[in-house]
Amino acid sequence: MATAILYDSTRCTACRACQVACKQWNELEVEETTNRGTYENPPDLSANTRMKIKFTEVPKNVGIDWLFTRRACMHCTDASCVKVCPSGALFYDGRDGFVAYDRDLCTGCGYCVEFCPFDVPRTERNVITGLSTMNKCTFCTTPGLNRIEAGEKPACVTTCPTGALLYDDRDKLVAIGKQRVQTLKTAGSNNANLFGETELNGLHVLYVLEDSPDAYGLPVDPKVPGVAIAWKDVIQPLGWIMGGVTIVGLGLNYLVARQAKIRKEQTVKKEE
Amino acid sequence: MAKEVVRYRKATRALHHVHTAAFVVLFLTGLVLFIPQLGFLAQGGWTRLLHRIAAVIFVVAPVLYVLFNWEAAKKGIKEAFTWGAEDLNWLKAAPGYYFFNDESKMPPQGHMNTGQKMWWFIVLVFGALFVLTGIFMWFLKDVLPAASFQWMVFVHDVAFIVTGCMLFVHIYLGVIHPLMTEAWKSITKGTVSAEYAQSHHGKWFKEASKKKPKGA
Repeated sequence: MATAILYDSTRCTACRACQVACKQWNELEVEETTNRGTYENPPDLSANTRMKIKFTEVPKNVGIDWLFTRRACMHCTDASCVKVCPSGALFYDGRDGFVAYDRDLCTGCGYCVEFCPFDVPRTERNVITGLSTMNKCTFCTTPGLNRIEAGEKPACVTTCPTGALLYDDRDKLVAIGKQRVQTLKTAGSNNANLFGETELNGLHVLYVLEDSPDAYGLPVDPKVPGVAIAWKDVIQPLGWIMGGVTIVGLGLNYLVARQAKIRKEQTVKKEE
Repeated sequence: MAKEVVRYRKATRALHHVHTAAFVVLFLTGLVLFIPQLGFLAQGGWTRLLHRIAAVIFVVAPVLYVLFNWEAAKKGIKEAFTWGAEDLNWLKAAPGYYFFNDESKMPPQGHMNTGQKMWWFIVLVFGALFVLTGIFMWFLKDVLPAASFQWMVFVHDVAFIVTGCMLFVHIYLGVIHPLMTEAWKSITKGTVSAEYAQSHHGKWFKEASKKKPKGA
């Protein structure tokens, strides 16, 4: 069984209660920000902000339209971060399939930051020492703060006052999402779509959108970067083979060369 | 006592040891990211801090050497890029020699034989790649587009695999191989016996003995 979160952008009022609930439950520090001329706040995800609502302003004849998106880990089934994480700090949850994260295991390498197709993981990094740890949404399964294990929903879902966030069996949510898209289409939003059903073999966070993903600043066809595949599935296995062949080869060479040396010394002695 | 020939000066030996120590630290602290089962050793990132300290030594040591030994450095770098037909003959004869102790087909070698030159070439080229990609990964992470960073990691890893394997070969030939009896001495004490120099580096020995040896 796989569970998921469904975010219905058309039901979201951007009250940002989810942002607050996320910080509160996960004990993440508050950030001081400045007025940038938008209600959107904080400006970006950070090591202390695992989720935020993004406001995309679309000019209308009079005023603007707001497109709201939830910026947080999308919990891919084919997750680039899990692929490149060298220490197993990022891994697939055995029961529900989302991308779990054990911060204690994080080495701070930041590969996940650079390989995520959604630009989600964030680190607080000392530029000189390089010391850092990453932070991202754990589906509220951080050890000690595990809501899922306790039979609760993720904090953001529990808090949402408009029903824009649902947590349930993924298949069930896909059906609900599709139905909602149909309703939106009937109401005149021809571009309405369900994002995340098939992307990266299925995301564990699904979006109901009333316009195409790129209108929201989402990647239209997210992929595991080719470099990640070339690196992890080709070069590193080759590295293991090369290392093994080298060590075995040197061992064999030693045995043969030592014998050859002894034999030569014996012939020299005989000739003498 | 047999005559000794100076093979590596003190400064060169010092650079070799400092650089080797730095590289071994870099190699091991990199290895924990390569082998997932060792990943736990990197927890908290202290291996990454060590990696950076060693990286500074890895860069500063050769820079200092080049600054204070410009002539020797120039000669050395030129050596890595000077290749000829003799090198091909060496490669053909090498398996017979390194496995079966058959020296008959080995062409006389210069200061560095073809194998040493290959390693030296790899050290220079992959060393530069390491440093270049490393600088990007360390200092320019936030400015660099993600796609470029991904390639930096990739190239760094390829260099790690190539130089890592060759390091095994280098250590093996320097310390373990039954016929390389004086390689270790040459890098620790700086000299080899005239006999060893003649048989392993005939061309170089001839040239070196023409010149008046300085205080040897």
